[in-house]
Amino acid sequence: MLLGQIGALIVKLAFLAALAAAFCYYQVHRTGTTRWLTFGRGGYHLATLSLMTASAIFLYLILTHQFQYTYIWNYSSTDLPLSLLISTFYAGQEGSFMLWALFTSLIGVFLMQYASENDYEPHVMSIYSLILGFLLLMLVVKNPFAFIWEAFPNDLIRTGPVPAGVTNYFVLDAAKSVWARYPVEGKGLNPLLQNYWMVIHPPILFIGFSAMAVPYAHAIAGLMKRDYNSWIRVATPWLVFGAMVLGTGIILGGYWAYETLGWGGFWGWDPVENSSLVPWLLSVASIHTTLTQRKSGAFVKTNFVLSILTFLTVLYSTFLTRSGVLGDTSVHSFVDPGMWVYWLLLACIALFGTIAFGLLFFRIREMPKVPVEHSFVSREFALFLGAFALSFMALFVAIGTSSPIITTILKGKASAVEIMYYVRTNLPLGIAVTLLSGLGQLLWWRHSKAGSLLKSLMWPTILSVILTGLILLMGWEEIEILLFAFCSAFSLFANIQVGYGIYRGNPKFVGGSIAHIGIAVMCLGFITSERYDDKATVTLEKNKPVTALGYTMTYTGYRPLERDRFAFDIEVVRGDVKKKVAPSMHFSEQSTLRHPDLINFLSKDFYVSPVSVEQAAGPKEETLTLQKGEERPVGGFNVKFREFDFNAFERGAMLEGRNFVINVNLDILEGKKKSALTLTMTNSGEGPVFTPVSYTAANGSVYEFNLVRILPDREDRSKSRVELSIKMPNDPTAPQRDETLVVEASIKPMINLVWVGTVTLIVGFALTILRRAEETRQHAKKWQRE
Amino acid sequence: MNVKVVVGLVVVVLGIAIGAVNFLESNVEYMDFATAERSNKRAQVKGVWVREQPTSFDAEQVKFTFYMKDDSDRTVKVVLEGAKPNNFEIAESIVAKGRFVDGEFHATEILTKCPSKYDGDAEAVKKSL
Repeated sequence: MLLGQIGALIVKLAFLAALAAAFCYYQVHRTGTTRWLTFGRGGYHLATLSLMTASAIFLYLILTHQFQYTYIWNYSSTDLPLSLLISTFYAGQEGSFMLWALFTSLIGVFLMQYASENDYEPHVMSIYSLILGFLLLMLVVKNPFAFIWEAFPNDLIRTGPVPAGVTNYFVLDAAKSVWARYPVEGKGLNPLLQNYWMVIHPPILFIGFSAMAVPYAHAIAGLMKRDYNSWIRVATPWLVFGAMVLGTGIILGGYWAYETLGWGGFWGWDPVENSSLVPWLLSVASIHTTLTQRKSGAFVKTNFVLSILTFLTVLYSTFLTRSGVLGDTSVHSFVDPGMWVYWLLLACIALFGTIAFGLLFFRIREMPKVPVEHSFVSREFALFLGAFALSFMALFVAIGTSSPIITTILKGKASAVEIMYYVRTNLPLGIAVTLLSGLGQLLWWRHSKAGSLLKSLMWPTILSVILTGLILLMGWEEIEILLFAFCSAFSLFANIQVGYGIYRGNPKFVGGSIAHIGIAVMCLGFITSERYDDKATVTLEKNKPVTALGYTMTYTGYRPLERDRFAFDIEVVRGDVKKKVAPSMHFSEQSTLRHPDLINFLSKDFYVSPVSVEQAAGPKEETLTLQKGEERPVGGFNVKFREFDFNAFERGAMLEGRNFVINVNLDILEGKKKSALTLTMTNSGEGPVFTPVSYTAANGSVYEFNLVRILPDREDRSKSRVELSIKMPNDPTAPQRDETLVVEASIKPMINLVWVGTVTLIVGFALTILRRAEETRQHAKKWQRE
Repeated sequence: MNVKVVVGLVVVVLGIAIGAVNFLESNVEYMDFATAERSNKRAQVKGVWVREQPTSFDAEQVKFTFYMKDDSDRTVKVVLEGAKPNNFEIAESIVAKGRFVDGEFHATEILTKCPSKYDGDAEAVKKSL
């Protein structure tokens, strides 16, 4: 048996084991006996071990370049460096599902231990195993170990003995002498993905996706156990973990787009970005409403709904980006993966949606009703509004991203919304969220007294007015943007003030404030770098300095990099500072890819994206391809390809391997004048030699004709074609110039704030996880003692 | 009814209304060149690049000019504000977003729909054999 067949079999085994684990764990919940527990655990561990083995096999096949597997042939090649070769594991549909499933199974091993300490194991693990089962079902349906002769049976399978000299074959059935050839080289990884971001970004995103299944599993467990409060405490560390990892993944994706893909900014409201933003926004909203429930017992139902929706939107986002529904409305064009994946993903959303909302519906009447006791000026109310605004953002982004689906239903033709939609809908909500993230921290639980509130409001307000004033000095902007700047600044200062107070009390509790500071700093960075940026398109003739945006740029020439990539060296001078940028372009036979380069200053980025490179402009040259008898206009006359002149003598010479000559007879038709022109190709031992011929037009200008190549058609000689080049007469009025590089240069002020804010946010999340995990641990100990 | 509930409902309804208006406004409609020229609105036109006709790039103004044939077989000169889009040559169809100005289609954005080079087809397998 082949290794891949073993791999496929192990995946099936893992699928069955995961389903068995889900069933056994459910039996523990239903019967209350622990008899099934061992089976549940065993099943889960079997599923994880099988999946790990299958992944190891898959990785081994990739590393050893076994191109007889369709997936490996499709996405990798022998010339990739090790890190990129490993990343081809998840470069395609099947492999990325495998990675997602693998992370889900590994997280589950820790979750099992954690849940058992908190008396949640059977419930959480039954639903979690079911989720793992569904991810594995994807792999059963879309087998990553499919052979290339399974994908293209008619083309690649031969019967009979293998001819001599064919080395890359594979005998499928020795008895019937059926064999298949397989490729010795793969198609390779999409050049857009060939950089280190491909190595780190997708795995982080998938860990985030996997982690979002945990709060969902806890919510369902809570409903199963009729425990409407304490599931939140158990789920919180995982919820924050998921938000942290997914958030990191999203920002890394943004940085990838900014630094390498050359989208100009870090956020393009592209479906791929949006679809992971939606679950992230919901998870952040959920973090805030669960906090309220822990304090006051309110938002019982809201918390169920948010945890459920976070996971469902992860599935929905996968559906949007993987099923091909967005079609040609997205810059990322997705390959149609076939109907199976489409329906399976829909079924998956339907199943987990039905389980969750069905259970919620049956339990909703018995849930505790907590009367609203807080006033409008309380932290609870601020948290509620904040979570509400975040959920609305998620809704708007989800609707915008689903636009191709919605418009297909309404109008019958898919169309995407423009970026403007996202800005208009999210900006007011962003203002509300930043304001509340500052204000909420200054308010007390239940009720705040006006006096103390005003006192605490003073410094943040004064400082944010000053900061907004400083931003205004950079230039006037829309009022909404200024308001957003003010609220972000307010959140920043309010959280510094509150955070400092908390830090002096108990440093462990400072995570929330730090995360808010991070977000506020990021928002300020968004505003300055996106709204106060400066752009110029600059045409750089080789070795001639051009000044734009205060920088003097000199293009000094290009040099080849690895694999069809060329770097364009530009010297950048400003005052005493002298730096170099080298944006690059990738020319393959099909397309051109452009990669920017940047100089990172403390207060700004100088960002240079290549637009195009123009060859030195001498006399213009045109090429023509003509079939026999065809006539085309060039300059002021028509060129007609009459016939080849390849007589018997020359043909004989060709057959005997001597030098031979082929003449191409052209007619030039200028007005009523018709002149004949003969171009020759002389074939000697060293390849063909072409002799140029001049033609003087009626106005006296000289055109130089030459053959480029002859394209014979062996089946139908009359369809044979010739390719000609015609050098145009020297036009003294036309501009003469050297090789020229066109770039788009831009200045992104204070973009470092975005990255500083990101790191701060991650630190805040991490501190919060530590704090909540510690709390849960204390609780678990207490529960185990009782 | 409670005041809070009323205020809440108003906010929700207002939010949905703003969202819906923006959604409809920013959804640029698909049409062919003839309809786009008549309506004089911003439009999305789907079609193919006419390879036989000249394409040019103006480095001074950063404008890329080419000819595009829409699904109703009308060929129009398209001027894109920017350079030649990625994957332009291999695109099996393209979508241009923009509006008509003096008989030319001025596009601000071009989406390219590519045949999946990075996904399998039998011809490609044969080539790599």
